[in-house]
Amino acid sequence: MATTTAALTLGSADLLTDALSLSATKTLHKAGSTVGLDATTGITTAFLTATTNIDIFTTLLDNSGDGPAFAGKTSWVYICNNSEDETEYGVVTISGNIIGKLYAGDFLWMPWSMAADSHADNKHGDIELAPSVATGMSWSWGMINEGTEYPTAV
Amino acid sequence: MATITAQLTVNSDIGEYGGITINKTMTMTKAGSTTGLERTSSLQRKYLTAANQVDLLQGATGVVADMTVSATASAAKVYMKYLEADTSKYVTIGFGTASTGATATANNSTTAPTFELGKLYGDDWMIIPWDGTSATGDITVLPSSASAAEPAIIEYIVFFD
Repeated sequence: MATTTAALTLGSADLLTDALSLSATKTLHKAGSTVGLDATTGITTAFLTATTNIDIFTTLLDNSGDGPAFAGKTSWVYICNNSEDETEYGVVTISGNIIGKLYAGDFLWMPWSMAADSHADNKHGDIELAPSVATGMSWSWGMINEGTEYPTAV
Repeated sequence: MATITAQLTVNSDIGEYGGITINKTMTMTKAGSTTGLERTSSLQRKYLTAANQVDLLQGATGVVADMTVSATASAAKVYMKYLEADTSKYVTIGFGTASTGATATANNSTTAPTFELGKLYGDDWMIIPWDGTSATGDITVLPSSASAAEPAIIEYIVFFD
């Protein structure tokens, strides 16, 4: 069984009167179990040269009556803006809902249910990223999870 | 100007190619600036005593009275942790309009109030940027199990412009 641990340290010496120091560590498991996650996309690094809103993971196969094969399972997502220009950002969106903007050097670490949008078979549940500039931005992303349903070749 | 840092470390031995290693530190700055974020909700705990969907954070109105959100620029960050030793229990995190108090998260971005982002099982945590610029930017929580005797406890902190 594979073992994956994720740890975060949040800190500031001057935000509040006293120092802020917060740490959290977790071994990542399959949904509702103590079995470790055993699948990953690896870490992708991409240089995006358009402001087009794109899907950064394999598109959800939400056009079946049963929904995506791994919907409701555990997935952890990492996305990082590698830009060094503080004015450059990317907008992260799921199903039309803006999660937030990742400015230069920002990252996110979040669970993802791969939940399909029920109003149409149009993969609205995918994680989307729209860079703010077309002059080229470096991004990294990856996912650790229970599995991914890949499209059938045509 | 304050300096707030977040260091993420992920180590994994999945597969036979060395697994994934992430070691990244971000310094939280205001939108489009090198000036550090300087406002915070401080560390909060929310006790949920029923398995209903409720707002943890409301977009537009802000998390605290002086929170300013911008339609064009917000670099807010949210840290959230489900304080629960039982790893079979979870809290479903949603994004969308104000919650209805329903017992389920509906996934319809055009008509339903929220969309399911993911689940935090016992002791899971997350850190995300938060747009928070409109009423459709609420962050909702729906515990799988909660009662007055055994509440679901969520710890969170918001840093914002």
